[in-house]
Order: sequence, then C-alpha cells, then structure tokens
Amino acid sequence: MKRVAVCAVAQHKCDSNIWHKRFQGMLLDVLEDIQKQTGMHFSEEGGVRSIVSASDDVFDARTISDNGITDVIGAHYREEEKMAQESLNALGYAMSIILSGHEDVVYVAGHCKESQGESRNVCTNLSYDPFYGRAMGLDYTNVAALQARAYMEKSGLTEEQMAKVVVRARQWAEKNPYANATEQVELGDVMYSPMLCDPIRTMHAYPVSDGAVVMLLASEERAHEFTDNPVWLTGFGSCMDSYFLGDRDLASNFALKQAAERAYKMAGVKDARKEIDLVEVMDCYAYQQPMWLEGLGFCGDGEGAKFIDEEGPAKYNVNLSGGMLAGNPIMTSGLYRMAEAVLQLKGDAGERQAADVNRAIAQSTTGGAGQFHTVVVLEK
Amino acid sequence: MAKKNRNVGIVGIGQTEYSSHKEHQNQAEMVNEAVRYALEDANITLDDIDCVLHGNMELFEMVFQPDMWHSLGSGAYGKDQFRITTGGTTGASLVCAADNLVASGMYDVVMAIGMEKLQEGHTTGGITNMADPLWFRHLQTGALTATTATMMMDEFGEERAKKAAMKYRILMDKHACLNPRAHRRFGLEYEQADDLMNTSPQLVGELRLIHMCSQSDGACVMIFASEKKAKKMCKTPVWIRDHITVHREETFNNFGIEMPEMTHHYAARKLFERNGIKDPVEYFDVFEMYDPSAWWGLDWAREFLLLKDDEHIKLLEDGEFDLDGKLPINPSGGVTASNPIGATAMLRPAEAAMQLRGDAGPQQIKKKVKHALASGFGGTLWSVLMMLEKDLDWQEVENG
Amino acid sequence: MAEYFGTAVEDIFNTMEERFLSEGTLDVDVTIGYNISGEGGGNWKVTIKEGTLKVEDADGEVTDCTAVLNANAETFVGVTLGKLDAGEAFSSGNIKVDGDLTVLVAILPKAFKPFKPVIKASAIVESVEERFLPEKAEGVDIKIGYDLSGDGGGQWTVVVKDQTCTLKEVLDDDCTVIMRMEAQVFVDLNQGKLDGGTAFSSGQVKVDGDIGVAGQSASLFEKYVAEGAAEEEGEELISLKCVPSINQRYATGPTMGKWFDGLKEKKFFASKCPQCGRTLVPPREICAQCRVRCNEFVEVGPDATVTLIDVVYYASPDPLTGKIRETPYTALFMVLDGVSRDESFAHDLNPKDIDRIKPGMKVRPVWAEKRMGTYRDLLYFEIAD
Repeated sequence: MKRVAVCAVAQHKCDSNIWHKRFQGMLLDVLEDIQKQTGMHFSEEGGVRSIVSASDDVFDARTISDNGITDVIGAHYREEEKMAQESLNALGYAMSIILSGHEDVVYVAGHCKESQGESRNVCTNLSYDPFYGRAMGLDYTNVAALQARAYMEKSGLTEEQMAKVVVRARQWAEKNPYANATEQVELGDVMYSPMLCDPIRTMHAYPVSDGAVVMLLASEERAHEFTDNPVWLTGFGSCMDSYFLGDRDLASNFALKQAAERAYKMAGVKDARKEIDLVEVMDCYAYQQPMWLEGLGFCGDGEGAKFIDEEGPAKYNVNLSGGMLAGNPIMTSGLYRMAEAVLQLKGDAGERQAADVNRAIAQSTTGGAGQFHTVVVLEK
Repeated sequence: MAKKNRNVGIVGIGQTEYSSHKEHQNQAEMVNEAVRYALEDANITLDDIDCVLHGNMELFEMVFQPDMWHSLGSGAYGKDQFRITTGGTTGASLVCAADNLVASGMYDVVMAIGMEKLQEGHTTGGITNMADPLWFRHLQTGALTATTATMMMDEFGEERAKKAAMKYRILMDKHACLNPRAHRRFGLEYEQADDLMNTSPQLVGELRLIHMCSQSDGACVMIFASEKKAKKMCKTPVWIRDHITVHREETFNNFGIEMPEMTHHYAARKLFERNGIKDPVEYFDVFEMYDPSAWWGLDWAREFLLLKDDEHIKLLEDGEFDLDGKLPINPSGGVTASNPIGATAMLRPAEAAMQLRGDAGPQQIKKKVKHALASGFGGTLWSVLMMLEKDLDWQEVENG
Repeated sequence: MAEYFGTAVEDIFNTMEERFLSEGTLDVDVTIGYNISGEGGGNWKVTIKEGTLKVEDADGEVTDCTAVLNANAETFVGVTLGKLDAGEAFSSGNIKVDGDLTVLVAILPKAFKPFKPVIKASAIVESVEERFLPEKAEGVDIKIGYDLSGDGGGQWTVVVKDQTCTLKEVLDDDCTVIMRMEAQVFVDLNQGKLDGGTAFSSGQVKVDGDIGVAGQSASLFEKYVAEGAAEEEGEELISLKCVPSINQRYATGPTMGKWFDGLKEKKFFASKCPQCGRTLVPPREICAQCRVRCNEFVEVGPDATVTLIDVVYYASPDPLTGKIRETPYTALFMVLDGVSRDESFAHDLNPKDIDRIKPGMKVRPVWAEKRMGTYRDLLYFEIAD
C-alpha cells in the first residue's frame, strides 16, 4: 500500500478555560504555526483543496460545528468534511482521501472546548438512549467507573498503581509546553484525593480542557514540498463494541484489540512489543492507561497492574506528552496523542525526546467505557 | 490530482418510507430497517461489510454521538466505523466518503447510513443553532428566505417567475406521487397553479408554504464495493465517477451589491471541466437535485447546468425536466417531497443510482439512463456534486 | 334521518360494496333478504355469488332467499355494531330468520369487513362541550371558528374562556381563528387519517387568524370516538418528553469583542483583509478568501444601502428568548457605507417602514438607549430620510 505522509503538526496549548479566544481564534493560531512550518497555502492550483475537520455539535452547542470555523480552516470554496467522532478518526479518513487519488494534500483540524458548557457530564449523558440509560443518569464518568471496578477486579490494579500512573503523567506533562495539568503531585496526593465516582478519584480523571490541533497530510510524491522530514501513516483501524453495558464484558478490551489488530495488519506490525518504540494512549482516567496498553498488546490480558509495577510505561515510552491525564478535550485528544507521536518520530519533541523512535502508535476512544476505539500506526 | 486508485460501485440501496409519523420505531430500529433493505438489495450479509459510515444532524435530536446508540441497528458491532456530519449535505458527504474509503484500498465494502428523526427533536431550533450564538442567531429565521424569489422576479418578471416556480413545484409533486416512499404526495394538478400561487400562505415574501420542503423522518442506506467485488456481488453495479464538495465562509454575507459565484456553479464548473463534460444538459440523462424549495430548485438548475439567462425556465416550460423530457429532474419528487435531513442528500445519489440500474419503480425514466448527476446542499449555501455512471466505459475514453 | 347508535340503517347497506371481501366468498352462492321495520328501515336483497356482490333495494317485503332476516331498525343496527348481543336479540324474538340460519352465521363474517360507523363532522363539533378538558384551558381565552362545507358540515364557534367551553351554532365575526375546509377533511384530520401539515400546505385547509391557536386547540379536547366504533386494538406507545438544558458560556475573542465594543459606542467596526482589501462585517479573525489574519479594523457605516428585502410572515420563535415574533416583520440585506460591494450585512427593519422600504434605499441604525455590548444594542434599521 502506498504511504501517506504527515508533514507537520501544530498544537494549541490546552487549558481548562480559554475564555479569551473563541474556536476561530484558537484555530487561526495553529494555522499560522503550521503555515510557518510548511509554507502550505490554499490556492486552487497546488494548494490545499481538501480539509477534514473534527468537532462535536453538542460540545460546541452549535449545529454543523464546522460551519463556525470554515474560514479559519481554509474551507471557503474548498472541500471539507467534518468527522463527528473522536478526532483520531479524521486521520483514517484523510488517509483515504489521499490513497484514493482524490486529493494529494489534506489539512486536518480538530477543536473542542469542554469549558464552554456547564457540564461535560450532561453532554455525555445525552449519548445514552432516552428511555433507560439517560434516565438512569449514565454519563461517561460513571460508566468509566463501572469499567474501572471491573478492570481492577480482573487485573488486581491497586490505588497505588493508579497513583503511579498519574504521578508519572504529571512528570512528563511538565516538559510539554502544550499540556494543561503540569502541577507535580505525589502518590499520597492522588491516593487520598476525593472520590469522584467510586473507584475513580478526582485526581484519576482528566481535567476539563480546551484545545485545538491541526496537521498537514500529503501523498508520498508531494510530501517534500512541505517538509524534509515526513512521518508515515502506515496503519489505521477502528472498532465498535456493543452499546448496552450489560451486553459487554467491560474489562475485555473487545473493541480495542480488534482496532489494534487491523491497524497492525495494515502497517505490517507482527509483534507490538518488539516493533513499537513509543505509544500514546488516550487515558481519560488512570485505570485506562494499563487497560488500553493490554488491549494494544504490550502486556498480556489482565497483566496491566503488573506492567505498571515493572515500569512498562517507561520502557515503551508511553504518554511522554503527559497523555490525556494531563488534560486534553474529549473530542480532540486523539490528535494530541498523534501530534506527540509525530514530534517524537521527527525528533522534534524537545525535552521529552526519546531515543531511537522509529515506529509509534496513537490510540483514542469514544463512547461510554471505550465502546469505540481507534488505533493509528506511524513510522519514520 | 492523481488518477483514482480503483473504481467504486454501488451494490445495494435501502430506504425506509419517509413520513412525520414514525412513533412505532426508535432511532436505532429505524436505522436497522433501512440497513436490512440495503443488505437484501445487495444480497449480502453484515459479514460482508468492512466498514460502516454514519451521519445525521445530531443537534436536531440532541443525542451525543448517536452512532453509539444506533450501533444497535446499524450493524457496526465489531467493525470499523466513521461518522461524518456536514449539515444538509451529510448524506452526499457520506457517499463521497464511501467513494474515498473504498477507492483508497483501505476497505472493500462500505455501508453508509444517513438518517434523521426530526419528530424527536426541534427542527427550527436545530437550524437556528447553526448561526453564531452571539451574533446573527437572533436574526436567523431557520432556512427561510425569499431572496431568490425576489431576484428571479426582478430578472424574469413577476408573472413568469411565479408561474415557473409553481410549475416546477407541481412537477415535483407529480414525480412524488409516483414514489411509494415519498413523504408528501399532494396530487397537485397544473390547473391549480394560479390558485396555489395566490392562496398558499406566505412564509417569507413570495416563498410560500407550497414551495417549501417538508420535515421528514427516515433513513437511507447505500452499500459500496470495489470494482472487483462489485462485479462479483451484483448484477447491475453502477459507478461513482467523480465528486466535488464546495463549502463557503461562515456567514450569509453574499447578498451585497455584487454577488460572488455560487458554490453550485463553481462545483459544476470544476467537476465538468475535469471530466470533459461540455454540455451537461446533453450529457446527463437524469439529475437528482437537492431542492429545498421550488424557487431554489429552479434557480439552481441554471447554476448546476451552467445555463444562461432564462434557458432553465425555457427548459422547464418546454417540459424538458419532466420524466419524459431531455433532462428529468428529481423523478423521486425531490426534497420538497421528502426531507429526512441527515439522509436527504443521500437520497439524491440513491435515486439516481436506481435510475441507472433501471429498477427505480414507478418513477423510472423510460429512456435509457446511462449518466446521472446528483447534488447535495447545506450549511451556508454549500454544494456537493457527483457524477454516477451506468458503465465503466468513460475510463476507456479517458485512457484511449 | 333516523339514527341508532349514531348510524342510519341505510349506511350499513350503502357501505357493503366497500366492505365486501371477495376472496372469502369464492365458493359461496346465496341470497339474503333484509326486512327492517321501523323508522329508517327498508327492504334489501343481497346476492353473493362466487366472489361477487349485488345489493338491491327492494319494494316491499323480501321473501324468496336462502335466508331472510326480519328485525326492527334499532335491533338491526345495534347487533351489526356489536352494541347489542346477537344471541339475546335472536332469543328474544327481536330478530327472526326464515330459511338457512347458518348462512348468516357462517358466511356474513367472511364476506364483509366490520361496519365502522361513518363519522360526521357535525358529530365531532357538537360534542366539544362534553369532550372539553378544563384543566388544559387555564388562562385560555379564545374563539375557534369552524366553517365546514359539504355533507355533515356547518358553521360553529367554540368559545373557551374561564376554563369553560360553549358551542355556538353560528360563525362569530371576532373569532381568534377560523378554519375552513370540507367536512370530510375535518373528519380525516380529527381521526388522524390526514396529517395537518399536508392538509394545510396543499390548500385543503384555509386558516384566517392566529394559526398558532389552531394548532394548540386540539389539546383542549379529549379525542372524539364515534359511538359504536369498535375498540381499536393497538399497542400503547410510550412517549417521553424532556428538555435537556446545558448552560453555555461563550467566548467572543478579541475580534468579535471589538464589534460589541463598537456597538456600545454606536459604531460599526469591520475587519480589513491586508491582502485583498475586503472589509468583513461583523469583523472576523481571518479573510476566508485569502486565509490571512485580519488585524486591521475600519469604522464603517453607520448608514447602509439596502440590496434585498425579506418580508417574514412565518411566526418563528426568537431563538434567544423563545418568544414568538410578531409578524410580518422585514429583514434587510444591506451594504454598509465603506464596506466592499460583495459583503452584505443583515438586520431587521423598523416596523414603521415596512410599507415604504425598497432596494436601493439608504437606511440608518436605531440604537437601544442603554447599550451594553450585546446584540441587543442594535434595535433595527430605518429609512434614512
């Protein structure tokens, strides 16, 4: 299969309350950043003519949420489609635009402001069916708590191990100019933080965040116009699990395993543990880091807790960005995961730069308790 | 632009009936109904589907990530899935996306689902939420404006313009009456034109209730496959030749002293140029156009077909847009007959594809249909335009 | 005409053709005589032969048939509608059968769909007082006029006030709303056979006055169920109404912030593209055409030239207050002085100028007395003369 290049990425620093900019302002800042990096333009001949945006109408409280930002993503008299799911899926779609031959250059732009609405839990509650789930008050937080408990039973994950995950996340976030929660914490701070939704404590959960990320993708033939140092998108896979919680084995990673399998197959990865040098997972809550790493194949089923104690995340360069625990908005986290992977592969990750990074993974999830997962494989 | 990696065929189509009373089904069940029809039409099972595409206007029903719930009926369990929503153009965007995904080689068989259950939401509220909350939302009147009617009356004279818009409307209703799935089938006759022109309640200016599209519930599903698989799976695959999407800036600021080229015209210009189509009225055998009102349908016929002056009105007056005319428009009845917003723009290529296959039912055009045009509309006057072909022979022409 | 249980004897015979189930009588060859006595009665001969039906009026008593049924009108109608028990009627001698009784018992149910009483528009309107739901009419003070033409039609005014309902058999002049249509259309709408939107759009229903009241009035009354109508068997559908509400806190950003600051000062600020010179109103961070940041602001207007006019008749709710706007009102598209010719600005027109406004005219803004930097600072535009 032909390769699709990621030429550049630009991230907006995440913050819990970007009150002084609206979406248009955030996206314009990152557009200028990526234009400076690549010289990209939108002219009809040879410029960007295809854009994939990623945002959510409910969080934006705006019908056709891409309509508000058409101008700043260059979509005036150009093609544009909005990925109305977690933003990492935009990459799979952008990949297909290039591989199909429809366009050679695609601009990907995602944004989300969790601080705009009074309650992100009310937003996610709206994902449940009106008669039963919604009426019961399910939202992504309390449903994650159910999954956390199931996973803790299966793997023996302890409070201390979860705290380790958070402490480490903050250590790396401090080195990431784009991260939100950079305040350093100790194990005790996490273990004794107030209970948010048993067994998830406030410090296990990602903070309310606003942000925007853009990327420029190009066909192999044209990548050199924008960068000397392209990163290659070689694998993509996604998978949907059942909707009703009772139909699922919450600790099984059913969807993630299949998404990963398909992405690895496309990329020619046979053994993740041997072939992947860096991993960015979307850990909205601390328990998700070891659990998603199991699903991706970095440790065996039910061995995530052990994996934490054995410093597995350090070994595989997991979430050197600080991960989602350091604060990214729910619909845009995937692009932040991928942005870090891209920077690491390019050797542009500054203080966070890991050595010998040749192949990396970015993963994201959406739906309650990871009903839907997306995995992307990148290489140098 | 590089050559298309591989051809994409349409191998299955399923539609529910469109109505404003689907209280007997929840959203997932309604999706499932259309999915079953499409699978049956394609003569395959869910096992053959590699990837599901989903789209609707979520703020209407106010469901966050509805594809999660709809997975109960969409069959996406265990599969890759994408969700693309672009307002009114959603259905057409889904078809473009399916084309891109299958042509890319990433997936062989893709099922696209467009749906809407407006009665479970608040449509006008949903549409006004398109405007910026701090400026213009207080002024927006849903999707209603008479600017096109006003401009057409200025250009062609009040009498001729009104008569033409009404003739177009009645023609669309006559087509709708042939379509068993259409939502609104009034049974209008041309003799009623004068009466309706003057007595149908005015919404805005000369845009009257009779001219305006409905709000419908329903779902439409299409299944796409790579050329190799399509030929194996399906007796009469029809092909997506090309498509273009054109968006516009955030506001409705194009009613100044000078008006910029409409996205419809731009889309047609670009699409036809790169496909060597010099005379679209001659070339195409059917045009399923997204016409939210009779005025817009008539005006945009000129834009999409790159006509000048009153050529479009003449074609209408001469009966060339009728089923047995030179270029039938909307044999399905169009958007004024059925408008399940998330699906509406998919109905256009779906109905066009059925015409190419020759199994469109009572609304089938009698002459041979080989080349079809379909459009989508939404947002701040965005357009999606695509070309569908009965056979793959255009490629030999390109290469030969 | 004499009616029993809301139905006339001849209605039953007049609907036999449409109720006939030919497939159930392919092996049948019988004649049935009906001698119905009493007011509204008559004599009929019905022939059913191999899937075909013939219904004939007879002069005088019918005798020579496979079976002959003799009954008085009330009993006949009552039994047909299921209001009276057939067994009892037979036993009590109210129904007498000469000839082959099994014909009636075995063949009739196969041959005809059950009779459903014809619903008359007048019956629906005349029962409003009984069907009125006072608890739903709190604060309601309206007069609904009905002007129904055709069989079963008439003119009525339904007065709802102080949680009581009074029916008048005339059409008052001062009705809040008058609905005019064919009587059958009214019946079909009422019974859910015709959809309101369709009827209205296609001109089958004409409404004078407040359309909103017309729509709401249905909720003030219990559904009309015809006397004698069989209990409709259907699943009860559960319906949940809920209004989710999530408060939002929107950012203006510096660009839109400048616009609102300008409104406070009764000024319009546009942003200017450094590349193409386009002026954007309201100002935006970027020029969509050039994709370049617009940092420069220029003051424009305050007057403008009108390009297009929309007179809005449709009473939509103001999305920010929920109040129904007063109609008609006029929306304007205009080009503010100093703005590029291809950039229109939209706003409303002062209602007092609705009859005078024309494209090409000059208009000027009318400001709220107290301005706080929101959309409410600019009330509307009016003709500048």
